[in-house]
Order: sequence, then structure tokens, then C-alpha cells
Amino acid sequence: MTRRAAPPRRLERLLERALARAVYRDDILGDLHEAYADRCFARGIAAARIWYVGQAARLAFRYAARNLRGARTPYEAGFRGGTLMDRLLMDVRFAMRSLAKRPTLSAAVVVTLALAIGANAAVFGVVDALLLHPYDMHDVDRIVMPLTTSPQWIGHRETVSRADFLDWRRELQGGGIEHLAATLWWDANLVGRDEPERVLGFFVSPAFFDALDAHAAIGRTLRADEEVPANAKRIVLSDGLWRRRFGADPSIVGRPVRADGGQWIVVGVMPAGFDFPMGAELWAPLALDEKASRDRTAHDLTVYGRLAPGRTLAEAQAEMRAIAQRLTREHPDTNAQLGVAVYTVSRGMADVGVPQVLALWQAAGLIVLLIACANIANLLLARAAEREREIAIRLALGSSRGRIIRESLVESALLVGAAIGPALAVAAASLRLMHAFMPARIVRFIAGWNRLGLDWWTVGATIACAALAAAISGTLPAWQMARGIVGEALKSDGRTGAGPARQRLRRALVVAELALALPLLVAAMLSVSTVTRSLASWQGYDPTNVLTARAILPDARYPDADSRARFAAAALDAIAETPGARDAAAANVLPAIDSNATRAIELPGRPAVDPSKAPRVDYRVVSPRYFDVLRVPVLSGRAFAAADQKNGEPVAIVSESMARKFWPAGAIGERVRIAGGPWMRIVGICGDVVHDWFDSQRWAENANGRVPTLYRPIAQAPSDALVLAVRTSGDPLALVPGVRAAIARVDPTQPLFETMTLRQVLLDRTISLQYIASVMSVFAALALLLALLGLYAVMTVLVTQRVREIGVRIALGATSRDVTRLTLSQAGRLTAIGIAIGLLLAVALGRGMEAGLLGIVSSDIRVTAALAAALAAAAVAASYLPARRAASVDPIVALRTE
Amino acid sequence: MKAKAPYLGELEQQILLIVLRLGDDAYGYPIGEQLRTAAGRRIARGALYTALERLEAKGCLRSTMGAPLPERGGRARRYFTVTAAGMRALRDSRRVLLGLWDGLESKLEAS
Repeated sequence: MTRRAAPPRRLERLLERALARAVYRDDILGDLHEAYADRCFARGIAAARIWYVGQAARLAFRYAARNLRGARTPYEAGFRGGTLMDRLLMDVRFAMRSLAKRPTLSAAVVVTLALAIGANAAVFGVVDALLLHPYDMHDVDRIVMPLTTSPQWIGHRETVSRADFLDWRRELQGGGIEHLAATLWWDANLVGRDEPERVLGFFVSPAFFDALDAHAAIGRTLRADEEVPANAKRIVLSDGLWRRRFGADPSIVGRPVRADGGQWIVVGVMPAGFDFPMGAELWAPLALDEKASRDRTAHDLTVYGRLAPGRTLAEAQAEMRAIAQRLTREHPDTNAQLGVAVYTVSRGMADVGVPQVLALWQAAGLIVLLIACANIANLLLARAAEREREIAIRLALGSSRGRIIRESLVESALLVGAAIGPALAVAAASLRLMHAFMPARIVRFIAGWNRLGLDWWTVGATIACAALAAAISGTLPAWQMARGIVGEALKSDGRTGAGPARQRLRRALVVAELALALPLLVAAMLSVSTVTRSLASWQGYDPTNVLTARAILPDARYPDADSRARFAAAALDAIAETPGARDAAAANVLPAIDSNATRAIELPGRPAVDPSKAPRVDYRVVSPRYFDVLRVPVLSGRAFAAADQKNGEPVAIVSESMARKFWPAGAIGERVRIAGGPWMRIVGICGDVVHDWFDSQRWAENANGRVPTLYRPIAQAPSDALVLAVRTSGDPLALVPGVRAAIARVDPTQPLFETMTLRQVLLDRTISLQYIASVMSVFAALALLLALLGLYAVMTVLVTQRVREIGVRIALGATSRDVTRLTLSQAGRLTAIGIAIGLLLAVALGRGMEAGLLGIVSSDIRVTAALAAALAAAAVAASYLPARRAASVDPIVALRTE
Repeated sequence: MKAKAPYLGELEQQILLIVLRLGDDAYGYPIGEQLRTAAGRRIARGALYTALERLEAKGCLRSTMGAPLPERGGRARRYFTVTAAGMRALRDSRRVLLGLWDGLESKLEAS
């Protein structure tokens, strides 16, 4: 016996339930059963299933209303009664018809909403990826970061000293946080079959992997006994590194790897996707020797842990605070002002400033949404005015106000619903765009950036935004409509239009739009001017045609100052021979690079009372040609010379701002020293250089980015971190192979990394500013466009409604200039009120940005005023067309209508 | 005076005629198929049953249940037959239509 094909059981049962009250339920189900089998035979199972689902959906919809009502047919139910569901369905059908009748208006509303909601959803997507769910790790909310806090530090939090970490770990035994693990940044120089490569690694406590609940894909992670220096030469590879450098060798475990002049044994490979923190590719045991374990001054460890089962963050926080207080009592010299804060990993890893930027974006997005809602409410109000007579008649015939309000709400809900799909598309496209423009070398430092995209959270936020929009844009017209006074609307001839209340509401909406648009414009202008200032304006050096490359000299190969100085000198000589290189220099830090070095200084006769209060300056170690290569002017005295050697007199050059600050009478010949170091004689004064615009906060008196800087010759103070700068005659990137070859001639095991032009370094440095500025500009443009459209629409409606009055005026002798002036002055009044309110908001927002963005933005009242004037001009221009139309009214036509 | 025959809409007429044609085999599924093939009319299944329901309520159709069948998932077929009232209604509407058609054939042919 062959079994006949039967429809999916579950679907059939569902349908059975939907048709529970249908008289012919079994007939329908039976028919579908038979028909399904026939379809399967004729067109195949897939087609039959699709057909069945379609049939079931239609039937369920048809019978759902009947089920709810309990009546057998619509005829018996009648129109006035019926359940909420019936009436709602009727309203939906009615609203759809009435929207279809005005396709342009409906399309305009949907497009506006899609842009506004989409922009909000995109910002929420960024918030979601960067702040709410940046890590894709198991139970990520239980991974915590205890951080040392101090009121002295920027952002008030700092990494942890080794001795503090060890004390924490000891005291937390059996406490609220388990698997406490420290990590230390490691620039690993990997040497192997290919050319040497610098790889980002971390020295970690073995418990690190337990804290993250991460397990190796091959081999194992680190063992507790590998924390002892004798066993510490073990290494765990990331999946990416294993594939890239070791050809995905499955027998890699147990093999030696050469890095930093030493040999390490591979013990495991992590699964693909594990690159915590910051895109790490290597993990080795953090071995703490006796001396380092007592150090409480150097704060260089980042600590992670996992909340013990059943413990909360608050409990762990209280416990840690008690430990910190004990440490403060026991070590008052180092820990006097130190506290501790426990963050979840998502919060602890977030950059200082990111939440503020995202808050700014979200606020800007909401403002755009509000403006869009005001616009839509206005359009719907205008439509309501057209329907005033119809509504008055319906009210007079006994239609309930509730029903009219409901219709209006359903209408705006439908419009908003139609906008959700396009809004999601807008959001997805914007997020993809944002993702595409961020260079990969920066992405790894932004936790969660790779998770940027639409997810359920973002979809949920979109729908929430849409609901908000529907509520705002639907309620106002509904309220106005239902207030319609029957007698008045019927008595009037339907052309003088809306009553004063409605006019007021509509004008108030336009005023609000302008008032909201101005602060956005100001914010965008501030961000854009910050970017141009940090990119294009004076930097103190010449970033064009300079190639940069970085090298980290490992301790094992370059253990002392001499060997480092020799490497730097030899490397510069080798590079100088490369064709195309005009000049080369080396330094510990180049301008705009994402690291910095500062030192506390001491002046003769002015010993610092409190070492923590000693003045700090930026600290540079440079080769003799540095000032020529970067074209930093030497203003007086001399640059460093080849003669400034290790055994010669210690010398220094100071920047102009440093000279002015400490030696107003002249710095040449004066002496200075770095706390504890030899006294140096100042031989020259050089121009100031902007290292980093974000620094201005540190130097309130130097808000223009000029930071006091002390330069020393590299022969007298070699550094293990070297940045090379090569001035080239042509395209700097063309020299990359030559420079690499030159370094390989000096030391074939020494890798170079981040080889790029100095201009690119500068661009990368300000990329967050560029993002802020672009997003704010998009929002401001949207806000401006919407506000002007709103003004234009309202003025058009006002003019249309006053055609008769204008006709009378013209008939009585008003010239077209009078009429134009009348309309423009009306628009002008609205604009003036809007801008006045907007100015207040703009000043407040400017202040907020100054405070929130670490002082890189400086609000300028002149910019605000100029923008207000520009907005006013644009507003007048937008109302000029309606004014012209008003002036060209033909009195005879205007008076004859009816 | 005999009872006035109920008024029939076009769909109802077609359904009654199809039920007559199908004879002993007149149940929902073939009725729907016939409507599609013979009358070129695709109607939703729900609408078909609403129409059948209405015709039964008007007294034009009578239904009897058959035996449960495996090919219907263990459900019975409901066989429809046209009642006397249904026949009368069909006859009435045929007479009206024929009367209206009378003498118009040549006009239709010509155009």
C-alpha cells in the first residue's frame, strides 16, 4: 500500500484550531488534505507545502474575526457592533484606502520616516556593538575588570601595579572574583621562516583563560606552574597566526618558536575568533620575579577575573574596596590615593570618551527623529484640515470621536509600519559604510567594531523608534481632529480653513523644528572644524613625503643602551643608502603616533617638594637629523650634532612653549634634568609640534595643542622603541621594500611594523574625530533639510488657506510687494522665535561637547551666530516660494471660487 | 400558492449547477475544482464554504456525511444534493435569463 502524501501535521493542527468555530471545519481540512496530495503528485512537495501555507493563512485570517466575534457571518454582525478586532480591521482597510488616495504625501512621509528611523537605528547599532555587546564570549557579563583608580589620572582609572595584583589575588582566595589574571602588553618580534614580524601578544597569568572560559583548539592553554620564570618560555598561538605563519601545521604543539631573541615552546592554538584582548595573536605566561613582585609604582597590568558563582558585581566591588583600603593603610607612600573599581569587561575596556560620543550621536539622532515627527504631524494636520468638513459631518451624524481618533492613529501607524523595512535597509547600509571606512589596523583596538551590523537588538530599537514616531506624529493630528467643533466647521465654507488653535499648533511645530535644527548644525560645524584644525592646519612639522616605520628592540638582543644606540645609528646609515631616501631620522616617538612618552623634570635651585607634583613634559629621544627630516624649525641655538655622544656633555633641546614656560628670560645655556638623571645643558630651542589634539586637556594653558617638549640626543638616551622617519623625494610607500631591506642588512631578525606615511599616521590619529564629524554632518544635513521642508510646507498651507483674504487685500489695493512682505514677515516671525530658542540650546550643547569630548572641541560663539544667520537666510529662502505664490493670487479667481 | 423560490447570485447559481453535474460525487473539493476549470473562477476556499453555507441556509442545498476516509486524514466527505427549493430557484433564474436573452442572439452575433 502506498502512503498518500499528507500535509504537515503541525500546520494542520494549527489550522484546525483556527477554524474551531467554522461549521464546515472538517470539510475544509479534508478538502485541503486531498488537494495537497494531488498537488504533491502534480508539482512536488515543496510547491504543495507553500500552497498549503498560503491556503491556511487565508483561511485563518478569514475565520479569525468570526471566531472572536462568535457570529457566523459578517452580515449578522452588522457594522456598529463587532469586536475590537473587527473594528480595527475596518479601520485598517479604511486608512489604507485613504493613504492610497494621496500617494505623494504618503511616500513623502514614509521616506522621511525611513531616513530618520534608519539613522537612529544605525546609531543604536553602533551603541549596541561598541558598548552593550562588544564581546562574543561565553557569559561575558560575568567577566570583570578590577581597575586601580586615582583622582590624579585622566579618566580617574589606571592599570594595576604588580604588587597590588598579587595582593588582590591572595586576598581574593575564595572570594567574589575567581581566576584573577593579569595581562601585560607584549610587542613580540617573531622570527621564523619568513621575514621577521612584529606580532601583538600579551603576557598573561595562566588563569586568564579560565577567567574568559576559553579553551584551546589544539593542545592546551597555560598551566599554573608556568608562571614561574623557569617554566615561562611557553606560548599559545591564535588561530590566525597559526595559519599565517605556521601553515596550519597540526603538529605544532611542542615545536620551538623564536621570538624576541629567545626560544618558546608552543603549547596550544586557540580556536578561530579568539583574539582577546585587542586582536592579540600570542599569549605567553606572565612571569613575576622577586623584584617586580614588590613594585607598587609602575602601573602596567590589566587585570581580569570572573565573578564567582552566585556573587554579584556589587559584592565583588565591596570586597575589592575593602582590600584596597587595607593596601592604602599598609603602603601609604604608594597607595595613599589609590582606590579600586570593578567594571564588567564591556565597560572596563570601553575607551574613555566613547560613551560620550555615542550619547552625542544618539541625541542627534533623536533630534532628527523629533524633527521628522513634527514634519509628519504637520503634513497629517494639513490633511486633516482638508477633511475637516467630512469629519464634522460624520460627527454630526453620530460618529464617535473615539472612532475618528482611532482612524487617525491607525493611519499614522500604517505609515510608520511601512517605513520600518526601508529604515532597516538605511540602517544596514549606514553601518556597512561605517565599517568599510575604518582601517583594519585600527579596528582591532575598537572592541565590537567587527560586530557592527543589524542584530535583533537593533531591530528591536528600530521598532521602538517607530512606535515613538507613530505616537508623536499620530496623536497631535488625532487630538486636533477630534476637537473639531461640529457647528463651526459646517457653518464655515470650508475654505477659510483651520481655526486658530490648529494654526497655532502648526506654527509651534515649525518653531520647534528650527529650534532643534540649529544646535545640530552648530554641533556638526564644531566637529568639522575640529577635524580640519587637527588635519589641515598648523602642526609644527611637515608631514608630506615622510615614510614612518616602527621597531621594538627586544631586551634579549639589545639588552643595554650601547647596543640600542648602535642599532639606531647603523639602521639610519643603511636607510640613507636606499635610493629615493633623502634623509632619515629616528626617535622614540613621532608626532601624531599613538603613543607618547612624558617625564617629570627638575630645574636647578627648584627641587620638587613632592615628586608627584613635579612638572611633566613630553619627552623625545631623537637622532641628530630629526629636526631636518620633519622640518621642525630650530629657532635659536643649535640642533643636535653627531658630536653629542654618550661620553660628551649631556645636552637637551626644548620646545618654544617649554622655554617660555620655565625660562621666560631665555633658555639657552640653562640646565634641566629628568628626576634622578644627569643635569643637561639646553643648547637649542625648537618650534612647537602638535603631538595630539587630545592632549590639550592636559595643558589647559596650551589649548592650541602646543605641549612643552624636551628633546635629548639618541646617543645619550637610547630607547627600545624606535620610530623611523624617512624623508623621500617621491611616493613614500615606494620605499618600503628598500627600507625593509636596509633594516634586514643591519639585523635580519628585527621586524618593522606600521610602515606608512606620516600623513596616514595623522589621518589614523584623528579617525575618531572624522567619524564624529561625518555622522554629525549627516544628522545636521537631515535636520536642516527636514526643518526647511517643514517651514515650506506650512507656509504653503497657510497661503492656500488665506487665498481669499489675500484676494480681498489685492482687490482693495495691496500691491504684490505688500503681500510678499506679509507672508515673509509671518515666516520671519516663526524663524526668529525658532532660532532664538535654538541659540539657547546650541550654546548648551556646545558646552556639553566641550566637556564631554576631552576638550578637543572649543565652541565659538561667532560660529554659532554665523550659523544662526545662515539658518535664518535659508528659512526665508524656503518661504519665498509660497510668498511669491501668495503675491500672484488673482483676486477675481480667488473671490469667485465656491 | 407555492413558496417563492429564493434569489440566487451568480456564484450561487454556478455552484448549484456544478453540484447537479457532479451528481453523487458533489463535495467541496471537486466543486471548487469545477468552478475553476468549467467556470474559470478562482475563489478562496473560505469564500466557497461561505457560499455553500449560505445556500444550505437558504434551503437550496442539503448535505449528508459519508464515511471517514484515510486520504482526507480520517475525515468524512460532506456530499451535497440540490433540494427541491434549489431546483425551483435554478429553474426560476433560467426562465428569467432565457426571457431576457430572447431575441437578442442576432444582435450579439452581429457585434
